[in-house]
Amino acid sequence: MTAMNKKKHIIYWPVGLLLVAVLASCSDYLTLEELDNRTVAEGYYTSTQRVEQAVIGGYVDLRRALLTNHAWLMYGEARTGELQVEVAYYPKVAGQQLTVADRQLARLADWEYFYDVIYDANEVLRLIDAADGDVLSTYHYNLFKGEALALKSMAYFYIARIWGIAPSAEEADFGQPMDEAMAIERAAGFAREAHGLLPWILLNDDQIESAAVTAVRFNKTAAAILLAQENLWLGNDQEAYQLMADLATEARADSLSDFGLAMGKDERGGVTEEPLNASMVSISAANLAAIYPDGDARQGVIFRLSADEQKATFIVRDQERLGLLTINEHYLLMAEAAWKTGKLEEARTWLTEAADGGTENYSELTEAEFGDALLRERQRILIGSGQRFFDLKRFGKVSAYLPIFSTADIQNGAAHWPLAQRSLNGNGLTQHSYWEHE
Amino acid sequence: MEQVTLGIRMMDLLPKFFWRAIFCVILLPAGLVHVSAQEVVQVDSVLWPVRNGVESLLQGSTAGLRVKSWSGEAGIQSIINLRGLSMDPTDESTMPMILVNGVPIVATPSSVTAINPLSYYTPDQIERIEIIKSIDQLAAYGVLAANGAINIVLKEGRSGPLHVTASAFAGTNYLNDFNYRKDAFYDFNTTARRKVYRPQITHSQQAIIDGGGDFGSYLFGVTNYQDNGAVAESKFTQQSLFLNATYHISKQLKAQFYSNLTLANRKGRYAGGYERGLARPVLSDETFFMDDNKNTAQLSSLRLSYQLAPAWSVSSLAGISYEGAKRDFFIPSDVLDGYVRAASAAVRRQLISVNTAVEYRHRFSDRLGLSMTLGNEVRMTDNRITSVDGSRSLEYGGSNFVKVVTGYNANQTDALSGHDQENLLSFYGLWNVDFNPDLKLNATLRADASSLYDQKWGFYPAAGASYSFKSTLQLPLTVSASVGKTGILSRPEVYRGELTAFGDYFSGNELGIGKLYAAFEGAKSIDVFQIDGGISYAFKDALVLSVNYFDKRYSDFTYRRYLPNIYGIDYRYETGGKLALSGVEVELDGTLIQNDRFQWTTNINLASYSNAVNALPEDPANTSFAYLQALQSGDALTSIIATEGQQARVIGNSEASLFGGVTNTFRYKGFTLGLGINYALNADVAAESFSSRYSASQVGGFFPLKTAETPYYFVEEDADGGTVYQGIRSIENGSFIRLGRAVLSYQFGSFLQGLPIRQAELFVRGDNLLTLSAYSGFNPEENITGIRRTDLFSTGMPLPSSVVLGLKLVL
Repeated sequence: MTAMNKKKHIIYWPVGLLLVAVLASCSDYLTLEELDNRTVAEGYYTSTQRVEQAVIGGYVDLRRALLTNHAWLMYGEARTGELQVEVAYYPKVAGQQLTVADRQLARLADWEYFYDVIYDANEVLRLIDAADGDVLSTYHYNLFKGEALALKSMAYFYIARIWGIAPSAEEADFGQPMDEAMAIERAAGFAREAHGLLPWILLNDDQIESAAVTAVRFNKTAAAILLAQENLWLGNDQEAYQLMADLATEARADSLSDFGLAMGKDERGGVTEEPLNASMVSISAANLAAIYPDGDARQGVIFRLSADEQKATFIVRDQERLGLLTINEHYLLMAEAAWKTGKLEEARTWLTEAADGGTENYSELTEAEFGDALLRERQRILIGSGQRFFDLKRFGKVSAYLPIFSTADIQNGAAHWPLAQRSLNGNGLTQHSYWEHE
Repeated sequence: MEQVTLGIRMMDLLPKFFWRAIFCVILLPAGLVHVSAQEVVQVDSVLWPVRNGVESLLQGSTAGLRVKSWSGEAGIQSIINLRGLSMDPTDESTMPMILVNGVPIVATPSSVTAINPLSYYTPDQIERIEIIKSIDQLAAYGVLAANGAINIVLKEGRSGPLHVTASAFAGTNYLNDFNYRKDAFYDFNTTARRKVYRPQITHSQQAIIDGGGDFGSYLFGVTNYQDNGAVAESKFTQQSLFLNATYHISKQLKAQFYSNLTLANRKGRYAGGYERGLARPVLSDETFFMDDNKNTAQLSSLRLSYQLAPAWSVSSLAGISYEGAKRDFFIPSDVLDGYVRAASAAVRRQLISVNTAVEYRHRFSDRLGLSMTLGNEVRMTDNRITSVDGSRSLEYGGSNFVKVVTGYNANQTDALSGHDQENLLSFYGLWNVDFNPDLKLNATLRADASSLYDQKWGFYPAAGASYSFKSTLQLPLTVSASVGKTGILSRPEVYRGELTAFGDYFSGNELGIGKLYAAFEGAKSIDVFQIDGGISYAFKDALVLSVNYFDKRYSDFTYRRYLPNIYGIDYRYETGGKLALSGVEVELDGTLIQNDRFQWTTNINLASYSNAVNALPEDPANTSFAYLQALQSGDALTSIIATEGQQARVIGNSEASLFGGVTNTFRYKGFTLGLGINYALNADVAAESFSSRYSASQVGGFFPLKTAETPYYFVEEDADGGTVYQGIRSIENGSFIRLGRAVLSYQFGSFLQGLPIRQAELFVRGDNLLTLSAYSGFNPEENITGIRRTDLFSTGMPLPSSVVLGLKLVL
């Protein structure tokens, strides 16, 4: 009996082994590794370069958000009517008729591309933590994490400033609406973390410090400026002051860098590769004169007058890049932070420094006059960066500059861009009351 | 002796209770020897059409098989539906599975040339066609044949040293009673269209040599076929070379080899055949236009079968079905107002399959028999498309053609390469038991694993029974019933998610990528549950009336869910949705009169079907099924949906509720007259209006009603994304009855005495000779979606009639 049992064991085990082998080969046969018409996410991020592609995806989506339909100007200087964009819907934007049925206006009202940036950033954060230890060096881990956080921060910051409300796209409270302050508070948190992680100067593929790469990716300077902007919006003036003061040290001078969007082809149509092209963006001679007094040297540096002197267009020095967070703003933010933290004298000095080329003397500015002067200089220096309308909101001057809106209108949300129907339908939100009745 | 020993050892390998379990649980209640067809069409006994394509041969011949002649273009496949339904109107998922000698083939037309792969097999090659539609037989194909299966069984060589069969025909295509006002192109460059339609020739030549003996058999042949349609300067040509050979290597071992190489070429020279929306005025007759489509197709199969023991046999069938399709396309500058456009595309499709089975047959007694087949099937599908498409404005000098060739450059050319692969692994078991001769029980169990899914395996069981009252009640009555499950593969693979390129960054030095959609681990095949019931009554041995009922329930379609705009990706995949298709099929088939001089055989069949959407996913408006959102549970999937006022409404049904055919063949002495009629009743056609088309913004969002037209309109989007209201002129009844085929032939019997000719037949054949319909257009079946659109999208070219005179000789 024992012998029989033993015999059976000997006969059965190869059958089991064969079955296991067959099923194992089935598994290989049924998983196609070379799907060359599509790239599956699983198993893709096996090198620094591939992870970097995902990070760059965030920049491309940010570019899509800001450049589709010249959005960064539509939300900024086009909405205030200072810069003119040669598109059919521009008069509607400048006339604050933002709810008119128009396909391109509907595109502008949709925050989808900004949320794409947030999704991209969260994907990067997820995959760098999931990546094998030998895929990313500490430098790249910190860089990519910092970039993802900075991109996310910037996207939330834009959404909050444009629409005044921002549903969370974070896993913990997905879909929960945040008001403007809450969203910017969250954005500042991301920027703060990014600021700690990002390097001053980025390395290129040859692991050599590269100013060109640094200028089109988030770096510590850009994160500091972004965080300072967010802090000033929130009233965290002291932190803003400290950040800007850190940039102002002489030791830092060689490390500072602008940040802007690099140009390139987008897979989707409608994303311009020449954002400030003279045929698209211009300023009328009247607006130009209103912004820059006679003798202001910056006018000639930034703009070129047309032959008939009826309008002026941007002098584009770098066709490959659109500046967003520039060192130019550093002194302005420094001045503002100093002014808001009670350091008027220092604020005057920084404003004078910032307004190099201007005609006005800011050495005698009073506390009461300082805000208006700062707003004017921000307008002159940052024109074309898309920040103008946000500045008017932040300084509470929208109705002063755009008389079409009363104070009551502003309270009813007129300074916010109307929410797209898609945003309302899909996310359980209600329209700003001003736009509901428009 | 060795085999017996082997058998004993195999029995010893597993404990006795295992064998008892096999017999008690699996074998006794079930069984199926082969996947035998529910209906068999003997090809030599049906009327052969002039137009090639196996589906033309089957039109109107079998209850439940709908073959829609939607386009008159030569070489185009008619729509084939065998109890098929799908929620996705853009894929090929309602097409039945097509096999040749049991080998699955690439059967759908390629997306670039649209040449019909079923045209590669001429009626002379085919012995019979098995139409498989009941669930107990379909389940043997698992996820491959939920919409039925058609197996084309090819002729083998006849016994004898040598037979030579030669046949040829020639004739003309013409547009019968053509009235340009009835043409679907009416009101679009009518003058040009009148000029472009003209009688054209069609002809065919074929030679087959066959023979057979103890060694096996052979059959090989060559075919040349040309059909110029009914449009000037267009034509379809096809040449095939085929071989079907069996060889008895030993008493136990038999090999069968089949090979068919086909070259097919379809030329279009007609601008309207491609782009019906060209701005007027275009060319006076629109004929100078190049659309050159070439297919090269090969089907090779090898079957090896070995008789292990009297009861045991093993067989393996390997097949390669390959098709290369290439299209070159050119529109000259005088059509495109100073621009030339050229495009080139190539598709390569291949399907490799290996099917190995062990078969066991045993008769326990005269009253009890059993057969069992256990098998494994491996399928590899690999399809690739590459295309370039460019245009440029003309410069001075040179010919148009030279300009377009030199005009290709990176900025003016779109290039595309796509690749689809899928592997399928299957195991199946078929069991058949017969008690007395009256009761037959069968069961099927198939397991399919596809590379398309994370959860690989799907299981497809079925069981059926039939009982004959012939011996018990002396009634020639048989009843049958079956129940089971099949599936339909969802395409493409989505369970691993997909990354996509967003764009270049930093002067094109960096590539930005991101997620197109997230992994959908729940991806699975569509489930199809089916029940069948049938009854057949043989009036005489030669005339059988059968009535069959079926009910199919489809569930778990894969669709896209469009996400709210804070998700960061546009959509994700989900499964859901339920459909139902049921119907009754009635068929009378057999010989009505048979005597020495006269024979009358008939086949009368009709099918009455209804389909319904039983459930849609939640919030269908935000899914890829949004076009169905107006449907209520129970509404037909094939409903035509339009808008009235601001409300979506069902205004018709594009599918016929009743369809079928009537075939009568009369033989008197050497004469044969065959008439084949097919019909479809109660399909609606919504004809769009040429004069009521409005931009929504121009009419303030309200569709202006027009007298003499319906109050309904479609809401569409123009090229700029603006909303357009397209009025509907009429809703027409698309019912028709058509004399689809007619044959008159004469067999020269006594005249051949003394000649080295065994058989000679002179014949006249006609296709599409007469159509009775109230439909205002030319062909009631020409609108694929049941909508006759103003741009004629999804509308076929006018269907010509054909008459040929031919001769067939057997030496």
